Amino acid sequence: MVSTRDRVRAAASGPSAAPPRRRGLLRARRRAGLLMVAPAVLHALIWIGIPLVAAIVLSFTSYDVLTPPRFIGLENFRDLLSDNVFRRAVLNTSIYTFFTVPVAMGIALLIALMLNTQLAGRAIFRTAIFIPQVTATIAVALVWLWIYDPRSGLANAILSFLGLDGPAWLSSTDWAMPAVIVVGIWQGIGLKMLIYLAALQSLPTELYEAASVDGASKFRQFFSLTLPLLRPATFFVFVTSVIGAFQSFDQVYILTDGGPANSTTMMTYEIYKSAFREFRMGYACAQSLVLFALLLFLTLLNRRITGGDRATR
Amino acid sequence: MEYTRRSVLTALGLGAVAAATGCSASSGNSQAAADGPVEGEISLLTPLFEGSTGKDLLEGKLLPAFKQKNPNVTVKVDYTTYAALNEKITTSLAGGLMPDVVMLGVGWIPPFAHKKVLAPLPDDLAKRYEYEDRVLEPSRYDGKLYALPMVLDTRIVTYRKDLFAEAGIKAPPKDWAELRELSKELARSDGSGKLTRVGFDPFSIDLRQCWETFLFANDGNLFDESGQQVKFNDDRGVEALQLFLDVIKDKSADYSFKSSAGQPTTLQQGRSAMMMSNNSLWVQLKQQTPELLKEDKVGAFILANKVPAMLQGGTMVARSASSKHAAAAQALVEFMGTPESILPTAQQRGSVPGVQDLRTSDYVKENGFVKLALDNMSKARSEGGTAAWMEIREKIKTTLETAVVGKRTAREAIDELANLSKEAISRL
Repeated sequence: MVSTRDRVRAAASGPSAAPPRRRGLLRARRRAGLLMVAPAVLHALIWIGIPLVAAIVLSFTSYDVLTPPRFIGLENFRDLLSDNVFRRAVLNTSIYTFFTVPVAMGIALLIALMLNTQLAGRAIFRTAIFIPQVTATIAVALVWLWIYDPRSGLANAILSFLGLDGPAWLSSTDWAMPAVIVVGIWQGIGLKMLIYLAALQSLPTELYEAASVDGASKFRQFFSLTLPLLRPATFFVFVTSVIGAFQSFDQVYILTDGGPANSTTMMTYEIYKSAFREFRMGYACAQSLVLFALLLFLTLLNRRITGGDRATR
Repeated sequence: MEYTRRSVLTALGLGAVAAATGCSASSGNSQAAADGPVEGEISLLTPLFEGSTGKDLLEGKLLPAFKQKNPNVTVKVDYTTYAALNEKITTSLAGGLMPDVVMLGVGWIPPFAHKKVLAPLPDDLAKRYEYEDRVLEPSRYDGKLYALPMVLDTRIVTYRKDLFAEAGIKAPPKDWAELRELSKELARSDGSGKLTRVGFDPFSIDLRQCWETFLFANDGNLFDESGQQVKFNDDRGVEALQLFLDVIKDKSADYSFKSSAGQPTTLQQGRSAMMMSNNSLWVQLKQQTPELLKEDKVGAFILANKVPAMLQGGTMVARSASSKHAAAAQALVEFMGTPESILPTAQQRGSVPGVQDLRTSDYVKENGFVKLALDNMSKARSEGGTAAWMEIREKIKTTLETAVVGKRTAREAIDELANLSKEAISRL
């Protein structure tokens, strides 16, 4: 019987090492493989590659959409360095990501663990928790606008019931960002929970049986078995959540318009404003490249720290 | 490795081609003449005519009337909102699909005319009807007429007559000193010192437009006549911003104390005694709190400090320079600028008609705020006035807000805004 490792080694040694019939088979397989990935590669080239290259090219131009682009070298990037609002947007985006991603991941894992038991009505809970994910953010944000209304909103009504004086959530520079973060956490739980739940359901039960026989408590099983085994799922959830948090736009667009006084503006919101409201497409492309570079850096860093999607053995 | 490099270079080339194609399609340099047959299918981009009633008015009444006069022209309508109008125009231009006829806001003509996106209109159209000079000003750029006014939206001060009477106040304030005094008298707090009623609510309308109204009432200007020099950074601009901070300091206003969208305003709820308002508030009063109008509890006046002034916004109709059916597009512009089109449009939105000819119409007579605005049109001032306006207008609110929330002084915020504006103008 030929092992996978042997097959890989044989393929790597090149066609000259294999007999002619085998060579033909390998070529056919390679062709089939290329054919199968071709649509995805083509899609990525057209819809990601070309816009990315166009964005890189345009970031060195002054382009207002109305007149042809004019090459200005590094001027957009120099302007970025002195742009206080964009700096604020980078900071806000980082704060938003720092709070929403770990909190939402923690809550999602907790809910997934609960739903992975024989809980009565778990299908209903699962659906209810996933609903925010599939509801249009515009509709969600409008509901939250009402919740945060300082006079007639639910948040202040609850605080008032507890004898507390609620703030003007979205008009206060101190409270607007926490208010947006809460919406981000609430909306992000559903998908993360679903991924964790799928991962939990694929964990090998024999390991838990063995751990039980060895006398490991549930607590110990969670930290010594579940968490390490969930590492690939955690890596995936973390990377997609960070990217999602860095790209969050709609909540801010509806809830605060980036205010008050830029206290909730995000990188994507500034990119949108530069491109579509201020007609500075070249500058928006430069801002987008900064966002791209940041995300690339964070993904690589995370891959290095967590060991990527390799499962713990 | 070789393959990767080649593919990168190919993609770079494609990207550059895509960018260049996008640009050539959007350059809009053709100064299309409006001669030729009045025929063809044209598109109209409009932020007016919202909802089903607006659509009914446009497609059920106005466009059939236009079709009757121009049987060979078909109009395809693209509805949008003011919030999304910019994106619509940007993406249309980038895709080479600029609508033949577009409705724009006050202040938008110089940027688009400067970039040759709009086609100039015959100057005699400015004499067809009775226009207030102030109303036509935002339609012009570089001495040429680019648009016709349809409806106007002015910013006035509305007040509660019953609350004034209760406090023994006989007349509205004549200047800002009086405004602050009355505002303090009219404000109310609960036992803990929390405001339950503000004397003056300047925060229920857009901060940019409110500051501009203050600036104009302080006899200030945004830019010089050429649109190249910033003028708002003198003492008048700073004082205009300082007024927000003063009423907050007096505890007669609060930044969090503003009306929520779709809800009755603070004035309607009796939570403010005076409020900066759009004239369309009349329609809202009629729909939500008709008793206030019936019992004559709401009045309005023009804000004054050094001079009386009101901000005049509104919607204008213009023709794209790249229209393939220029004559048909111009015919639609002319039609939308007639009193027959303007009156029902203004009525539907509670706006001020763009032509003085309609001053005697029943609609104007019945709508107190619209009548006040039309009677005082000589005191109207508009925003914009520079080709860099689209960029500058986005900076105003966010920059001034830093002072309103106490992060900066009024002088610092105005200086910052002036610097940003100068940079934007230098990029023209």
